[in-house]
Amino acid sequence: MNGTNNAGPPRESRPRRPSNAKRNVAFIFALLVIVGSVLSVDIKYERLVDLPAGIWLVVYKMYFERGPDLSYLGVSIEHMVQSIEIAWVGTIIGAVLSLPIGFVAAKNVSSGIISNVFRQVLNGIRAFPELVLAVAIFIPIAGLGPVAGALAIGIHSVGTLGKLTAEVVEGIDAGPVEAARASGGRWVQIQRWGVLPQVLPEIVAFWLYRFEINIRAAAVLGVVGAGGIGFIVQQTIVFGRFPLAGTALLVVIIATILVDTVSGWVRRRIIEGVETRRIVDAEIEQPALVDGSAA
Amino acid sequence: MTVAAGAESRRPAKPRPSLAIPIGLVTFAVITWISVSREFGIDLNLGELAENITRGARILVREDTNPADRGLLNPNWVFLTETAEPMLETFAMAVLASVMGCGLALPVSFLVSRVTAPNGLVLSIGRAILSVIRAIPDILYALLFVAAVGVGPLPGILALLFFNIGVTVKLLSETVDGVDPGPIEAGRASGATGMQTTRWAVVPQILPNYVAYSLYVFELNIRASTVLGIVGAGGIGRMLYREYGFFHWSNVSVIIVELFVMVFLIELVSIWLRRRLV
Amino acid sequence: MIVFDHASVTYPGGVHALKDISLEIPDGEMMVIVGLSGAGKSTLIRAINGLVPLTDGDVIVDGVSVRKASGDQLRRLRSKIGMIFQTFNLVKRTSVLNNVLMGRLHTTGTARSLFGWYKPADVEIAMQALERVDIVEKAYVRAANLSGGQQQRVGIARALAQEPTIILADEPVASLDPPTSHVVMRDLQRINRDLGITTIVNLHFLDLAKVYCERIIGLRAGELVYDGTGAQADEGVFRDIYGRSLTADDLLEAPSLT
Ligand SMILES: Nc1ncnc2c1ncn2[C@@H]1O[C@H](COP(=O)(O)OP(=O)(O)O)[C@@H](O)[C@H]1O
Ligand SMILES: [Mg+2]
Repeated sequence: MNGTNNAGPPRESRPRRPSNAKRNVAFIFALLVIVGSVLSVDIKYERLVDLPAGIWLVVYKMYFERGPDLSYLGVSIEHMVQSIEIAWVGTIIGAVLSLPIGFVAAKNVSSGIISNVFRQVLNGIRAFPELVLAVAIFIPIAGLGPVAGALAIGIHSVGTLGKLTAEVVEGIDAGPVEAARASGGRWVQIQRWGVLPQVLPEIVAFWLYRFEINIRAAAVLGVVGAGGIGFIVQQTIVFGRFPLAGTALLVVIIATILVDTVSGWVRRRIIEGVETRRIVDAEIEQPALVDGSAA
Repeated sequence: MTVAAGAESRRPAKPRPSLAIPIGLVTFAVITWISVSREFGIDLNLGELAENITRGARILVREDTNPADRGLLNPNWVFLTETAEPMLETFAMAVLASVMGCGLALPVSFLVSRVTAPNGLVLSIGRAILSVIRAIPDILYALLFVAAVGVGPLPGILALLFFNIGVTVKLLSETVDGVDPGPIEAGRASGATGMQTTRWAVVPQILPNYVAYSLYVFELNIRASTVLGIVGAGGIGRMLYREYGFFHWSNVSVIIVELFVMVFLIELVSIWLRRRLV
Repeated sequence: MIVFDHASVTYPGGVHALKDISLEIPDGEMMVIVGLSGAGKSTLIRAINGLVPLTDGDVIVDGVSVRKASGDQLRRLRSKIGMIFQTFNLVKRTSVLNNVLMGRLHTTGTARSLFGWYKPADVEIAMQALERVDIVEKAYVRAANLSGGQQQRVGIARALAQEPTIILADEPVASLDPPTSHVVMRDLQRINRDLGITTIVNLHFLDLAKVYCERIIGLRAGELVYDGTGAQADEGVFRDIYGRSLTADDLLEAPSLT
C-alpha cells in the first residue's frame, strides 16, 4: 500500500502511540491506597532494625540452643493427628453440603433466580474465616473442642467448594444433558447421569485440594480452643518453652507436607494434569481472563 | 448352534472393576470412622449436636438490658465507632502484605519454574524451601513473629507476607511452567540474555494471571488479617476475640457484619479491576 | 560466510540428526534446505546459531567457531543472525512493536530492557523493519489480533530489527495458505536482494523452493544428499532426497508443477 505512496516521509503511515491514561489512573489509585496504608499502620519502624535478630533468636531457641525437645514428639503427634481428623471431618461436611448446593447454584442446570441466590449465599459464607466461624457460632453451639473446629472448617469449605462445583457444572458439555432430557429424564436423573459423570472427577479433586488447605486451618484452630495442635504451639510459645514449640512446629510442617504429597498424588491420578493452578483459576472469578493460555 | 447362543458368546465378559475404587472407598470409610470415633477421633455425635443447637439459638436472640450483651441477631451499632480503627488497621495490613508478597513472588517464581530457573540446583532447593514455607499456616507465623518482635501489626504483616509468598509463588511458577516456549526460543535466538528473555518473552504471557493472582491473594489477606489479632498480631481479630471472651454477642455481631461488608466490597472492586486491567 | 566442517548432532535421546555435514554458504546467498520431516532440516539451521549444540565437527560463522564460543560470544554471534519460525513465536499478548523490539535486546542494557526504556534509535530501527514488511500500521496492535501471514511478517521484522547479516527461516510458510506463502517468500527474497543478507530457508514445498532460491540442498536422514541449483533438481534428484517419487503433497500448488 505505501510502496506506491512515496510522497510523504515514511513516518506518516505510522500509527500514533495509544494512550495509557486508564492504566495510569489505576496505578495512581493503587499508589494512594498503598501510601495511605503505610502511613496509617502503627509500626514502630525503629523496631525493624531488631527484626532479623529477633526472628533469629526465636529460631535459635527453638532448634539450636538445646535442639528441639524430642520428648514432646508424642504429644505433638497426638495433637497433629487430631488436627488431621478435624480437617478430614470438616472436608466431608463441606463436600456433602456443597455438592447439591453447587448444582443448584449453577446457572445452566438450575434456574436464574435460584442460582443467583445460592451464589450470593456461598459468597457470604466465604467471607468468614474458620476462626471467626468457630468463635462466633460453633464454639457457642458445640462447646470448646474439636467438634466446633470441624464444623467451622466444614461450613467455610461449603463456600469455596460450592462455588467451584457450580463453576465446573457450568462448564460442562451440554450434549449429554440434552440427550438425558430428550429421553424423558427427571431433573435429578438428568443431573445424576448427564452431569455428574462429567464433573465428578474434577469435583473430587477439589475436595482433596480443599483437604490440603483445611489441614492448615485445622492446625491453628487450637488457638481459640477448637481442637488440634494449634493449642500446644500457642501455649509453648506464649510460655517461652521454645524447644517444645520447635518440636510441635516440626510436626506440623512434616505432617502437612506428607498430606500434600499423598493428596496431590491421588488428585493427579483422579484427573490427569489437573494442577492446583487450574483449581485456583476456577476459584478466581475471571470471565475476562478466559483465553488459550489460561486453560 | 442357535442364534441366541451365538449372540451370547460374542458378548464380552463384564470387565473386572478396577481395584482403585474399592480400595479408595474402604480407606475413606476407615479414616472417617477413626476421625469421628470417641476413642481415637474428635467424638462427633450428631444427636448431641442437635441438642446443643438450642443452646446456640439462645446466643442468637438473647435479650439483656446491656446492649452489648444481647444476642447475635441484635447488633449493637453504637459499638461501630470503636471498631473503625482496628478495621482500618486490618485493611492496611492486607494491602501492605499483598504489595510486598506479590512483588517478591514474581522474581522468586522465575527461580522455581522449570522454564526460567537458572539451574537445576536453584530449582530443587527453591522448591523444597517453598513447600516448607507453605506448610506453616498464617496464624502459626503470627505466633512466631509476635514472639520475635512483640505484638502489633508488624508481626501480622510478616505472617501474611510468608503466607502470600507461599501461595503466589506456587501459582505463578506453575503458570510459568505452562507458557508458550516459542517466544523464549525466539529471544534466545536473537542473542538476548536469560533475564531479558524472561522479561519480554515470559512476563507478558503471565501478566494477566499475575494480576488475577495478586487480587486473589489480596482477598485472602483481608480474610486472614481479620483473625491474626487473636494471637496479638494486629487488626480487628484482637477486638473480636476480646468481645467474644466477654460474651458480648451483639458487639461480636457488629464486627461480623463489618467483615462481611468489607470482604464483599473488596471482592466487587477486585472483580471490576480484573476486567479492566487484564 | 558459513562453513559446516564435518558437523554432527546426536540428540540426548540417541537420535543421529546430522551426520558429518560439510558445506559452505557464501555471503549474500539465498539457499533452501529440503527434505522429509525428520530429515534434520531444523537441526541444521539451529546448529548455525548454536540453539542445538554440535556433538562433533564444527560450524564456523564469519570466522567464529560456534562449538567453541563462550556463552557471551554465542550471544554476540546470535545477535547478528535473525531467525524466523514456523509458528512465528510471537508473544501474542503484547504489542507488535514490543515483539519487534525483542530484536534490539542484544544492544540494550539489562536495567533498560527490564523497564522497556528502549533508545529512540532502537525504536526507529524497529519501525523501519515493520515498514520493510509493510505492516507498520499494526505497530501498537496486540500480536494476537493479527492473521497468520501478518504474524509471520512481524516475525520477519523482528529478525530484521537485529540488523543481521544472516537470516535463518525454519519452515516460514508451513503454517500459511498458498497466496500468503508467496507474499512471505517474496518478502524474504526482497530482503536477501536489497540488503544482501545471507538467507537460509527450510521449505517443505519443492515448487516454492525452485521459484525463490538459486541453491538447493537436500537432506535425508541427517545426510547431505544433494547440493545444486534449482534448475538441476529434477525428478531423479527428488527421488534421492525423498526416497520416493514426487507427489502432489510435496507441492504447494499442484497446477504449477512443471
Ligand atoms: N530436542 C530433540 N531431542 C531429541 N530428538 C530430537 C530433538 N529435536 C529433533 N529430534 C530428532 O532429530 C531428528 C531430526 O529432527 P529435525 O531436525 O527437527 O527434522 P526436520 O526439521 O527436518 O523435520 C528427528 O528424528 C527428530 O525426532
Ligand atoms: Mg523441522
